[in-house]
Amino acid sequence: MFGDSINLEIHKKVRRFHFFLKSLELKEIIDIIPSFRSCLIHFDGESTSFQKLASFIMEREPAAASVDLPEPKTYEIPVSYGGEFGPDMEFLISHLELSEDEIINIHTSVIYTVFAVGFIPGFPYLGILDRRLSVPRLETPRFKVPEGSVGIAQLQTGIYSFDSPGGWRIIGRTEKKLFNPQEAPYSLLQIGDRIRFLRL
Amino acid sequence: MIKIINSGWLSIIIDSGRYGHGAVGVPPSSALDHYAYCILNHLLGHDRDAPAIEVIGGNFALTVGADVTCAITGAKVKAFLNDQPLQPWAAFPMVKGSILKVQDVEEGFRYYVGFSGGMNLERIISSYSTNMECRFGGFKGRPLQKGDEIDFKDRKMGEPAEIPERHIPSMKPPHRLRIVEGPEISYFTPDSVKAFAEGTVFTVSSRMNRTGIRLEAKPLTFRTEADMSIISEGILPGTIQIPGDGVPIIMLHERTIGGYARIAVVAKADQDLLAHLKPGDHVLFERIGMEEAQSLWKSKQETITSFKQINRRPA
Repeated sequence: MFGDSINLEIHKKVRRFHFFLKSLELKEIIDIIPSFRSCLIHFDGESTSFQKLASFIMEREPAAASVDLPEPKTYEIPVSYGGEFGPDMEFLISHLELSEDEIINIHTSVIYTVFAVGFIPGFPYLGILDRRLSVPRLETPRFKVPEGSVGIAQLQTGIYSFDSPGGWRIIGRTEKKLFNPQEAPYSLLQIGDRIRFLRL
Repeated sequence: MIKIINSGWLSIIIDSGRYGHGAVGVPPSSALDHYAYCILNHLLGHDRDAPAIEVIGGNFALTVGADVTCAITGAKVKAFLNDQPLQPWAAFPMVKGSILKVQDVEEGFRYYVGFSGGMNLERIISSYSTNMECRFGGFKGRPLQKGDEIDFKDRKMGEPAEIPERHIPSMKPPHRLRIVEGPEISYFTPDSVKAFAEGTVFTVSSRMNRTGIRLEAKPLTFRTEADMSIISEGILPGTIQIPGDGVPIIMLHERTIGGYARIAVVAKADQDLLAHLKPGDHVLFERIGMEEAQSLWKSKQETITSFKQINRRPA
């Protein structure tokens, strides 16, 4: 755990630690899931133990400072806001007391960072959302949110990379494909990348 | 060639899992009963990551276009080869044109079917497993349907064999699951945690699928100062999350990140049982330490390895 909030400085440490872990090429590590404030390490309990692996990694951790980091990329994501593509836009307008134009202007004015990719393949958790757009999740998640839907929840915004259940408030939709299982690295967006939404 | 005559309630291609791409949200989608899957591969003389069919429900039937050895493990089923009853957890020869039929499931929920000749399928992101939600992997990214045909990889017969009764786990409810504490266990009142881990009988809800299993019982109580959700963070198969309504969800193998408090994780050695929880079953948790969980897993792995050393008995 590198901190306890959604914060770019904490996330930079997570990203660095993630690439440091990868650089160790340990066969005992089955998978790594980096997110806002931590890296989850899934290890093989047959060939090592938590204590052994943790001390091995922590001994080498000072080398993380000099690990090579890939250069983050920047993408533009065109979005159709509101209407049939943004079923929660009306809720935002009444809850936030802003007009649709104001909401779209605020949402498109920030260059977001990809803090994590997951829950489903290719879904980017993007931050940091302008506080003026912060809304709670739906009390009862939707059974199916259509692929491409752009949602917001608290200080995050994200894009549903596949049809999936979801509880974020949906304000628009993009046609940009976020995940292609046929071609590495599979996900358009990687942690640390930056994106900007464009109004269609 | 394998031809599906009836697909049961749900049948999908699985293997030991899709790992190494958790950083872009790719979940394992692996066989939910890892032990049964490993024993299936052992019975058929396969590698540890050969594709197999994971089936839920009776009314499953298939035929083969060549002589082959077939095996079934996992849930105990009432199965027939051309009306001849079959032993559970066994490998048996199937001649070209014969029909394997699973009529009913007698104990457990998911069973595994495989063939000595293997199945000619393509690995997607280094795995044969089906990701049903994202429609990739397995057989055309979807569950098997009546009429589907899958080619064998090789023309290879195996030996008939059966697994001794003592190595077939009980899948009868109530299910006792050993758990290790999770990172947000302190979000709940001590009374709630005690009840959760010592004696509360949970009932498996009908709201369950390959992503997660919801349980029903008296809701857990969050401490007044605790948040009802966390900053989204990585989760492993077997993680027990408590959403705002206080009722647990056991996460299976289709999610990499979660946003609810992680009260506990089911010990890896007991995760195979999660494949056999079905609506209405009772579940009890028992809290153990990390070291005990590690040694339980080690000894389970040793059991699997020991199978590879003993000679097969004829069936």
